[in-house]
Amino acid sequence: MSAVLSAGPLTGGEVRQQVHWTERIGHLALLLTGVFLGVVLLAPIWMILAKSVENRDGDFVGLLHFTGYFETPALLQSIWNSFWLSGLVTVITVPAAFIFAYALTRSCMPGKSLARNVALVPLLAPSLLSAISFIFWFGNQGLLKSWMGGHQIYGAAGIVLSLCFATFPHALMILITALALTDARLYEAADSMGTSTRRRFFTVTLPAAKYGLISAAMVVFTYAISDFGVPKVIGGNFNVLATDIFKLVIGQQDFSKGAVVAIMLLLPVALTYVLDMSVQRKQQAQLSARSVPYQPRPARGFDLAMAAYVWLVCLLMLAVLGMAIWASFIKLWPYDFSLTLRHYRLGLIDAGVFGAYLNSVKMALWTASAGTVLVFVTAYLLEKTRGMDWLRPVVRLFAILPMGVPGLVLGLGFIFFFVRADNPLHFLYHTMAILVLSTIVHYYSTSHLTAVTALKQLDAEFEAVSASLKVPFYRTLARVTVPVCLPAILDISRYFFVNAMTTISAAVFLYSPDTTLAAVAILNLDEAGDIGPAAAMATLIVVTSIGACFLYYLLNRFFERRLQVWRRPAGAV
Amino acid sequence: MDSLPAAALCIEHVSKRFGAFTALDDINLAVGKGELLCFLGPSGCGKTTLLRIIAGLETQSAGAVIQNGRDISRLPPMLRDYGIVFQSYALFPNLTVSDNVAYGLVNRKATRPAIAARVAELLGLVGLPDSGGKYPAQLSGGQQQRIALARALATSPGLLLLDEPLSALDARVRVRLRSEIRLLQQRLGVTTILVTHDQEEALSMADRVVVMNQGTIEQVGTPAEIYLDPASPFVADFVGKTNMLPGRVLAGAGLRIGEMVLAGVKGADGFAPDAAVSVFTRPEDVVVRPAGDDLPNSIPGVIEHIEFLGAYCRLAIRAEGIGTTLVYADFSQRGLQSLKLTVGTRVRVALLEERVRAFARPQPPA
Repeated sequence: MSAVLSAGPLTGGEVRQQVHWTERIGHLALLLTGVFLGVVLLAPIWMILAKSVENRDGDFVGLLHFTGYFETPALLQSIWNSFWLSGLVTVITVPAAFIFAYALTRSCMPGKSLARNVALVPLLAPSLLSAISFIFWFGNQGLLKSWMGGHQIYGAAGIVLSLCFATFPHALMILITALALTDARLYEAADSMGTSTRRRFFTVTLPAAKYGLISAAMVVFTYAISDFGVPKVIGGNFNVLATDIFKLVIGQQDFSKGAVVAIMLLLPVALTYVLDMSVQRKQQAQLSARSVPYQPRPARGFDLAMAAYVWLVCLLMLAVLGMAIWASFIKLWPYDFSLTLRHYRLGLIDAGVFGAYLNSVKMALWTASAGTVLVFVTAYLLEKTRGMDWLRPVVRLFAILPMGVPGLVLGLGFIFFFVRADNPLHFLYHTMAILVLSTIVHYYSTSHLTAVTALKQLDAEFEAVSASLKVPFYRTLARVTVPVCLPAILDISRYFFVNAMTTISAAVFLYSPDTTLAAVAILNLDEAGDIGPAAAMATLIVVTSIGACFLYYLLNRFFERRLQVWRRPAGAV
Repeated sequence: MDSLPAAALCIEHVSKRFGAFTALDDINLAVGKGELLCFLGPSGCGKTTLLRIIAGLETQSAGAVIQNGRDISRLPPMLRDYGIVFQSYALFPNLTVSDNVAYGLVNRKATRPAIAARVAELLGLVGLPDSGGKYPAQLSGGQQQRIALARALATSPGLLLLDEPLSALDARVRVRLRSEIRLLQQRLGVTTILVTHDQEEALSMADRVVVMNQGTIEQVGTPAEIYLDPASPFVADFVGKTNMLPGRVLAGAGLRIGEMVLAGVKGADGFAPDAAVSVFTRPEDVVVRPAGDDLPNSIPGVIEHIEFLGAYCRLAIRAEGIGTTLVYADFSQRGLQSLKLTVGTRVRVALLEERVRAFARPQPPA
């Protein structure tokens, strides 16, 4: 058998398969996304680290800026402020959201889906909106200023209230998922042994939701400590890390010290992120594929109490949201409460600020399209193609890393990186593209995980079958994978759109006079004392986000009807 | 190696290691043209890994795969010539049955009418001529598997690979599809490799069976050879129900089991006299008579238990002189009644010399 001799690998060394040219296309694409993510994620963070040990002339000065920082009591105070404030927001929001989620999953109260949608509305607004609303409610000229009993809303109180509103839906989504995952058979087992309701709660419900609670706490804490808009608008003289960075960089142009503060902000967020990752890994192990979903049974007293709580929370949510909308139509707060469109017409259009809104929509559309394509194709290449095994873990890491970087830090890194004239990518500086790029990177991780989850649900052998039929992977991607994953793709696109509309943190360093965004414009209007037009702009953002969500909903329904006949069993056609 | 005249596929010294774990250890095999060869073994024996190496979905650590005289060891799946059917069917859910079957044809730049004719032909071949417009989710599991088969055959591949194709189906459908696939395979004359852990499936469908265990081949043979003349205790035990009785070797390929003495036993000549061996025989080859009957060269025993298995019954007999090992014997209901055998009946047990084989006694774990 001469074939044995010609094969040759018997003498040692692994047999290596040739790579088909169609696979090379995939490898090249994967390499490009890896380089791309590496450049736009690692380079900016590296620039921050580098800046923190350089002086204005770019000479290495060691830890000089750090020692300087720790000798400035006002700056140290900000660290402490950021921490206790975010801790307080976490302690208030997580239990409140837990009871809300418990009501939605474990009671028979009426109107669950409406309540859920109302509670998720803050996701569609920039965090600034709640701050503006609270100023209208409790500010110097607020409707309910008397409730403050001589205290000021500007400062810690206003920040905490606004952030509780903004973070509530984030905690709620995680907790609903955690509670919905509980196996009904555990409850049946507990009941069959005559377990009391109280004991059942502590031995079945809480342990099952434990990881969800931890995860929710981490997410809320991270959001609160890295948010920039809320303390800027309602914080008054109360300083936190996020506002310090802004003041140092934009106000004093002290980039090195700004970089030091950015690192102070990056550290706790990155640490929380690492903890959350390890917790989530444990939760996945806890799930069993054959869980039976829990079906609540009516219990009059309990259901009523739960409904009362839920609707109270919803009422508060609507009061915050509604105030900003209503105030945007008020002629002259607080003297003339007649309704008018002057804030929109005079304050936005005539003042030349309306362009910012159009910029935001444009930016959101670009992010929603380019970001979705990038995320989905990368996730596909990672999950469904073969080869380049050394590269895969690296790209996977790049894909989930952005979650651990606050937007403000990312934005600062971007500006450090792109502002350098010797950077070949310098041409992106002060363009719309850099805003799109930063937003895609900032919200990459969640989108990536959505795509991966959807792809993992597909039959693992589609690609093997295609190869056996000599059909290249990109054809199967277009003909099968994308159509089947369309709901998830729309989800990703919507997520990108809404976040691009509402984001401020990274953008605040990156906009140019020509590319001001709506959320940034709110900030500037508020600073100029034009709180009416600021409310009008916030309203526009919310309305646009809601409109976009509705559009996505219609799209999804359209595709379900037209393209997904194949989902229905026989007879339904 | 096998002396088949025209080997469609040769596996030569193929090994596969995952780190320190050896999934396949120096596998050599030849598949004849038009043959249906079955890889049989417990999960983790390496049978699926071997199939995936043949398909190019995994790469062997060493060794070669030769198809029709051509070394395909290093070819990617796209450049190999085979069709494959998976346990999960892997039908594209958003494409109609016709589009699924035509999936590999469209790429070959055939004309539309030619593709449509080929699809119709294949759907007829698998017995689902009217299902072309339906979506996979609208078909039963057995129907989906037939479509998957039609899709794999559409491009007329030189080799058909079936990876546990029937395991996800319920028992009745499985039995029916078994014979349908076998008939189709014989009609088309396509060389086929079937991977399964179901010994019944292997025995009923295959021309030859490759019994695998822990990354090595235990035996290659026709279903009858595998069943009647297993090459190792593993094969004997894995394929069908078996008795493994303790015995001692006598001079001249003889055996002593309790008081019973057998002569000319296969495998016994390989051992030194008085060596302790395991004696293999099938339950249907064990002769049992009431104690009063005259049964030469037999050992006495008592029926301890009778297991009702529908078409027949399986007796568990505690026989003298062989320790705690029970002897299993199969009986029809009628035979049982006519001999008046029930639990507790004293019997005599004899073995058929030509249906007995001696194996080395497995060393008791230290």
